[in-house]
Amino acid sequence: MVKLQLESNRQAIQQRLKWLFPPVVLIFVLLGARLWWLQILRGSEYARLAEQNRIRSIQVVAPRGPVLDRDRVPLVENRPSLNILLDREMMKDPSATTAFVTQKLGISADNFAAQLRRNKRAGTYRPIVIKEDVGIEDVSVVEAHRREHPEIQLGPAPRRLYRFGSLAAHVLGYVGEVSEEDLANNTFPGIQAGDLVGRSGIERVYNQCLLGQNGVREVLVDSLGRELGQVAEKDAVIGGDLQLTIDYDLQSQAESLLAGSVGAIVAMDPRNGEILAMAGAPSFDPNKFSSRISAKDWNALNENPDRPLQNRAIQNTYPPGSIFKLVMAETGLDEGFVDDSTHVICKGSAAYYNRVFHCWAETGHGYVNLEGAITHSCNIFFYTLGQRMGIEPIARHAKALGFGELTGIDLPGEQRGVPPSPEWKQEVRGEKWFAGETISVSIGQGPIRATPLQVLRAVSAIATDGELVTPHLLLHAERGAAPGRWPVEQLPIKPESARKIRAGMWGSVNSNGTGHSAALPGLDICGKTGTVQLISAERKKELEMDPSAVESHAWFAGFASRDHPEIAVVVFLEHGGGGGAAAAPMAREMFRTYFAKKYHPELTSQGSAHASGGEAR
Amino acid sequence: MKLDRRLLLSFDWLWFLALLLLTAVGLTAIWSTTAGTNLSYYLGRQLLYLCLSLVVFLVLLYFDYHIYADYITFAYVTGIAILGLVLVVGHAVHANKSWLNLGVVVFQPSELMKVLVIVALAKYYAETERDYLEVPELLTGGLIAFGPMVLVMLGGDLGTAITFVPIYAGLSFLGGLKRKHVVVLLLAAALILPAGWMMLKDYQKGRIQTVLNPSSDPRGLGYQPQQSKIAIGSGGFLGKGFKQGTQGQLGFLPARHTDFVFAVLSEERGFVGSISLLGLFLFVSIRLLRTCREAKDKIGSMIVMGVLSLFLFHVLINTGMVMGVVPIAGIPLPFVSAGGSSLLASFAAMSLSMNVNTRRFVN
Repeated sequence: MVKLQLESNRQAIQQRLKWLFPPVVLIFVLLGARLWWLQILRGSEYARLAEQNRIRSIQVVAPRGPVLDRDRVPLVENRPSLNILLDREMMKDPSATTAFVTQKLGISADNFAAQLRRNKRAGTYRPIVIKEDVGIEDVSVVEAHRREHPEIQLGPAPRRLYRFGSLAAHVLGYVGEVSEEDLANNTFPGIQAGDLVGRSGIERVYNQCLLGQNGVREVLVDSLGRELGQVAEKDAVIGGDLQLTIDYDLQSQAESLLAGSVGAIVAMDPRNGEILAMAGAPSFDPNKFSSRISAKDWNALNENPDRPLQNRAIQNTYPPGSIFKLVMAETGLDEGFVDDSTHVICKGSAAYYNRVFHCWAETGHGYVNLEGAITHSCNIFFYTLGQRMGIEPIARHAKALGFGELTGIDLPGEQRGVPPSPEWKQEVRGEKWFAGETISVSIGQGPIRATPLQVLRAVSAIATDGELVTPHLLLHAERGAAPGRWPVEQLPIKPESARKIRAGMWGSVNSNGTGHSAALPGLDICGKTGTVQLISAERKKELEMDPSAVESHAWFAGFASRDHPEIAVVVFLEHGGGGGAAAAPMAREMFRTYFAKKYHPELTSQGSAHASGGEAR
Repeated sequence: MKLDRRLLLSFDWLWFLALLLLTAVGLTAIWSTTAGTNLSYYLGRQLLYLCLSLVVFLVLLYFDYHIYADYITFAYVTGIAILGLVLVVGHAVHANKSWLNLGVVVFQPSELMKVLVIVALAKYYAETERDYLEVPELLTGGLIAFGPMVLVMLGGDLGTAITFVPIYAGLSFLGGLKRKHVVVLLLAAALILPAGWMMLKDYQKGRIQTVLNPSSDPRGLGYQPQQSKIAIGSGGFLGKGFKQGTQGQLGFLPARHTDFVFAVLSEERGFVGSISLLGLFLFVSIRLLRTCREAKDKIGSMIVMGVLSLFLFHVLINTGMVMGVVPIAGIPLPFVSAGGSSLLASFAAMSLSMNVNTRRFVN
């Protein structure tokens, strides 16, 4: 049954087996060498990788510090919420993950891809947020699919709560994921892609004070991402308190006065520049930004022709109108063009440089001196003064009072406006100054633009004999940010000049002047109205335009009291009509609120402000 | 039938001990990785398979291997039939239709088919009196080896299918290849490779690509080799200790008591343990080589050569795979990986070799 092996056959096989021995041994030598390489030479590196594998660091986002008003009424706090996170280290099949998040979590594929792209450079050990502030439905979807999609996780994230909705929205600003631009510029040291930072307002300017210190939880996990236990924990530390100069009562008064209008109201302590209220309308609800804002909301805010995101108090510039007459008066007095005997006879109109200019009072004011010209806002007086002085001293004094200059307020995006200056016009616009423009500028029209805050600051300087303050919102920061230095510049305004101007302003409010609607019994309120005509009355009829589109801008700027100024207010209403009729009553209410609180704190809402906070949002 | 005393005397106890040691190491790995979950189930099952395997081992050892050669045609045809049956009613595990559900046990006939192919091919090649193989013999031999291979491949188990190649290569080498035939065979392989590449599924291509470029896809197809390398590398010189391997214990390793068992052992036992394990495999390989040389006849040499080829291939591919130098393929580590069919086939094949060994002086 068995053939004996032939000798030749046997020898051949022996020969071949000799060939086989070295490669067999070589295979094992190579495998052994590979083991040596992995376990001995690279052993410590792989040991580190194995450590990282099982201990996962989970960032605990610290809440930002609360923002308080000057009486420590909380304006901005935090509320708990859950985010859906993507742990890219756990993601094994990106297409399956994409399918899951688009189908089950309602995240659009484009958004998801964009979010991945944005975080490409960020370390993959940090989960990225793919959906914020999710509801119970999403939470249960994520929980139910933990096994198939361990890369999709839930993470608690404190979220900004603006307790009074749109109240002071332009001041407070909002938070959002840090922009690529800010990352590139390293605007916020230590901030990484995906972190929340202040995107505007106080939130942005004092971001570093408000930032908390994120905590870390180190947990032992298995390959499915299931937590097996906690190894270490470093608690998150909430950011520092930020106390603002804003007065909640005054701010909410300003907001309610502006309801339905387009405009701005700012109240400031003229002695030190502390902003007591800064309201703009229309406004927005920053709570909408504390989750990722929906495209619909964003478009609504952006496409609204009234630009609700703009802080009109500092970001929009307008002709100051008759309020600029105060600057004219100061220039005239301090440059010696005006003395007690200076007067004009106002007949309602007059010709300058071969052109007829009108006073707002068609029948004229008759005999008018400086005080009366301010009280009754006589155009002819200031036309004449402007013609006499020429633009040079006007430009100089306007600049000194801050026209065309940043006020230095601690908010982003402040505008400079347009100073009434031939040099500026030549430099920026490349155009020559026309003598007729000096006449227009004399009543705050023509080539001159200022923000409501610039106007308020200039008027404050009149109130304080020339102390030009730096408006600011920060009262006290618990942490970070060196206490702000808010310089006060003493302008070379003669106290006597300021007193005369104040007398005119007092008359405007209290002596049957244009600002009489701002009067409050028992208070020496000083003020000046402004009505910026966009188009002459005749033209208005000719054009047959929508009257509201060409309606005048209304201004009122004033302070109280005359002898002890402690609050200055500016009211600006876009297309609001006459300054005396529309703006002055609002200013009055601001003064009323301020003094009522000062003298009768028990009557005002400070106590109730705390209580009503709970129902906000 | 009386047991020849000389059989007992010439039985290579050291060799047998090496096999038992390998199996024991495998059992500790199962213990370590399933202790938290289902220890009694996995360990018990493996012990059961071990007993079954030892019985098969002893029975196969008892009869002269020439008897098997006489019945191989029948066994081979039966094997082919079963493989065909598996294709039709196979029980899919991880999308492989290569398992047969026999009620109590799920069985993988392809593992045993390898042993049948070894004997069949050995017998066929041994019958030639020339000391080299002619073209018709190479072709017929190819049919014997690659027929089952195609069936296994159709079942979706590419890893197991490939193991028929080294059997054919090893036996053909020993049977004697002319230089021109080697060239033709290599050319044929070179031609089949691109076609084979096209037939591969995307994940299979990816597995090959990740070996060439390990960092290309660390979260996807590169995940398993990367985790496996971390497991091995982090074991260091002495290892993390029994049940202390985080990679294996925390589930970062896939198939940790089966295909990736070497990684678990390397992690927990360190370089000392893994190199010892390799040493055991080398020892068995050298024993096989020696038996092949000392076999009393051609068919004996041929059988041992087939077993050696299969054994070496499994060890090389499996350890190479967990060390990240060979693409991932579902090829178990002989004697060590958990799995009944593999253990049974390994013991059966080794029994045949030791059968040849013990009878090398017997006529």
